[in-house]
Amino acid sequence: MSAADPAVRIRVEGLGKRYRGEWVLDGIDLAFRAGEVVGLVGPGGHGKSVLLKHLPRLLDADRGRVVIDGHVLGTLRAFELARVRERFGYVFQNYALFDFMTVGDNIAFPLRQLAAKVRPDAAQILARVHQRLADVGLAHAFAQFPRELSGGMKKRVGLARATIADPEITLYDDPSAGLDPVTSSKIFALIDAMHRRVPTATTVVVSHDLDRMRAVCHRWVMIERGKVVFDGVTEAIAQASEVVRRFFGEAFS
Amino acid sequence: MTSAASRVLAGVGRPVVGAWREARGLAGLFLDTFVAVARGRVRGREVVHQMYLVGNKSVPFVAITLAVLGLISVFQVATQIKQVIPDFTMLGAAFMQMMVREFAPTITGLMVATRVGSGIAAEIGSMVVTEQVDALRMSNADPVEYLLVPRTIAAAVMMLMLTIVGIICATIAGMLIARSGFDVSFKTFLNFQLLDAGDLALGGTKALAYGLAIPVIAGRAGLTARGGSAGVGRATTQAVVATSFAVIVLDFVISGVSYVVFGQ
Amino acid sequence: MSAVSGFFASIGQAVLNLLRTFGGACLLLGRVIRSLFPPRFDVHETWRQLYHVGVRSAPIVAVTALFVGAIMVLQSAYFVKRTGATSLLGYGVGFTVFAEVGPILIGLMFSGRVGANNTAELGTMVVTEQVDALRALAIDPLRYLIVPRFIAMMLMLTLLMVLGDLFAIAGAALTSDALLGVDWRVLVANLIESKLLDELVMGVVKATTFGVAISCISCYFGLSVTGGALGVGRATNNSVVANATAIFMLDFVVGWIYSL
Repeated sequence: MSAADPAVRIRVEGLGKRYRGEWVLDGIDLAFRAGEVVGLVGPGGHGKSVLLKHLPRLLDADRGRVVIDGHVLGTLRAFELARVRERFGYVFQNYALFDFMTVGDNIAFPLRQLAAKVRPDAAQILARVHQRLADVGLAHAFAQFPRELSGGMKKRVGLARATIADPEITLYDDPSAGLDPVTSSKIFALIDAMHRRVPTATTVVVSHDLDRMRAVCHRWVMIERGKVVFDGVTEAIAQASEVVRRFFGEAFS
Repeated sequence: MTSAASRVLAGVGRPVVGAWREARGLAGLFLDTFVAVARGRVRGREVVHQMYLVGNKSVPFVAITLAVLGLISVFQVATQIKQVIPDFTMLGAAFMQMMVREFAPTITGLMVATRVGSGIAAEIGSMVVTEQVDALRMSNADPVEYLLVPRTIAAAVMMLMLTIVGIICATIAGMLIARSGFDVSFKTFLNFQLLDAGDLALGGTKALAYGLAIPVIAGRAGLTARGGSAGVGRATTQAVVATSFAVIVLDFVISGVSYVVFGQ
Repeated sequence: MSAVSGFFASIGQAVLNLLRTFGGACLLLGRVIRSLFPPRFDVHETWRQLYHVGVRSAPIVAVTALFVGAIMVLQSAYFVKRTGATSLLGYGVGFTVFAEVGPILIGLMFSGRVGANNTAELGTMVVTEQVDALRALAIDPLRYLIVPRFIAMMLMLTLLMVLGDLFAIAGAALTSDALLGVDWRVLVANLIESKLLDELVMGVVKATTFGVAISCISCYFGLSVTGGALGVGRATNNSVVANATAIFMLDFVVGWIYSL
């Protein structure tokens, strides 16, 4: 990996984040490349979601920096940051659907917020929303409100909203948390499908569901106590340290 | 430095530093709100919707509260007057002047701080805790512009209207008790001779100031909520206290400035 | 036609809500009183609540009272200047602050600081199933949670009212001296001469009733929370509003009783 590797989309350098005196993230160095699906795993509460939130600068680092396509996030001005964020799709842990809007408006929202120059017209937006709803199997839910939906349906709407603009970088924070096995598999199938739509897409998935992630992820990053303890492809796990092998379990050795 | 001395200093210093940071954060939010309004990035329909919410929730509340207040005030003062010199000619005039200058805007302000302030904090707080605010930022919708600006404009306008409603209700209530308890005719009570432009300006300025301060302070409490339902509860509580206190401080400042500068 | 019936329906709904809140709070009050005679409540928890309620609310009550005294002087100053009756300043300010404005504003601040906090705390405990856990351990939530808070809030607000009156006088004196040029000693002497003891006592009695109301209402709303984070926020909102309404109603009732 050369320092100017063109396929690297996101570079995390020495990232540190402190909450109440403790370093939740303590010196993270990572690179995410185009075309990859990366699984971000590790024991609960050790910083995975926090790391994910730094990538579109939903959180500001206390140490180190994040570089997206050559732009250093911390130095960007508001409108530059807006342009960078337009390349992202983010699926939140608790769906984060706007409960004061219908499902259709929720999914259309990112498109309607685009700068006037690149925004599609109203008819195109509606067409794309309906299409994406059909893709996630919720064509009938267009006019419903989030509170009328089940957990799995809300997750799918969140997924639709995050991917509606066909983003180049998609981040999933615990996409199958609290869902039954059948719905979980559906979600991961969707993650795979969305990734394949854009050839140079980068996808990062935070999850505990290692078995389902296995079918989708090429590369794995394991975070423990705020530090990276493993960073490599599936095949490299068998050669990793005891702690790492024990975490991934027998299925991976 | 001895550890005891440094602990005392820290004990005094920490709240002061904390208060300073709060003040700075609040000032920043005020500025962001005004900049957004000045830029004209205001969603008209949302403003009207918010005005409806604020007004709808508060009108009965303000009306009853101020009617009761009018009732009590007139009753108390009239009882006093009856004992001293039973001349009720100026009762209505003095009452209405005090209402316009002080009680109507401030009590309405406190009621709105209570109802609307905690409402805004609860709403925005639960949006923060369920990551909806993060989702807004991901789509490049600035939470201040999207959430606070409509509520601020709505609150400022509604505060003026609610204060007027309050004055009317208090006056009617006062009028009724003056008639039934002390035989003061409606005509004698509705004496406008003491009211001048200065009184109206004072009351109006107060109402407007409260209307601008309450949503921003409550919004800030909501936006800094952390940690599930406990966080939302904490934010709501903080909002109620901070907005109520702000109303009282603003009352003092505006009254003070008005007296010192305008002799009003 | 449906608009008219809709209007009446919403009034009916509002009345029902009011009655439900009032009824619920009264029932709670009844149960609390029953736990006082003979005393069956957690004493340790009561001391803890007294401390927390006092510490939490004393500063803000003191500062509020300071401002209230100052504001009343400023408002009266206008009249005084017009009529030249500086000797009445102490009386006027004292009367309004002790009897009306003081109890109401201090009551409102207390309701915000302590009442809202109480609802939020209890509400969070309900939502996170801590209240159920207490019951499972055969601890009566009333004895352990509610009665201590009731006692603490009632006592504290009464004490704070007295404290508030002192601070209000201070605020009034400072303002009259600094902004009106009326020497503060004159104001205080004036005040003492005015024999406002009746008003003072009435104000304190009002404060006690407010304390009873605020504790019952805030506990009622806290215990009946449903629906997670938003439910807690909403309950806190409703509790504060109900408290404010109760304060005004009780202010009227106590004032009326006193005039008999």
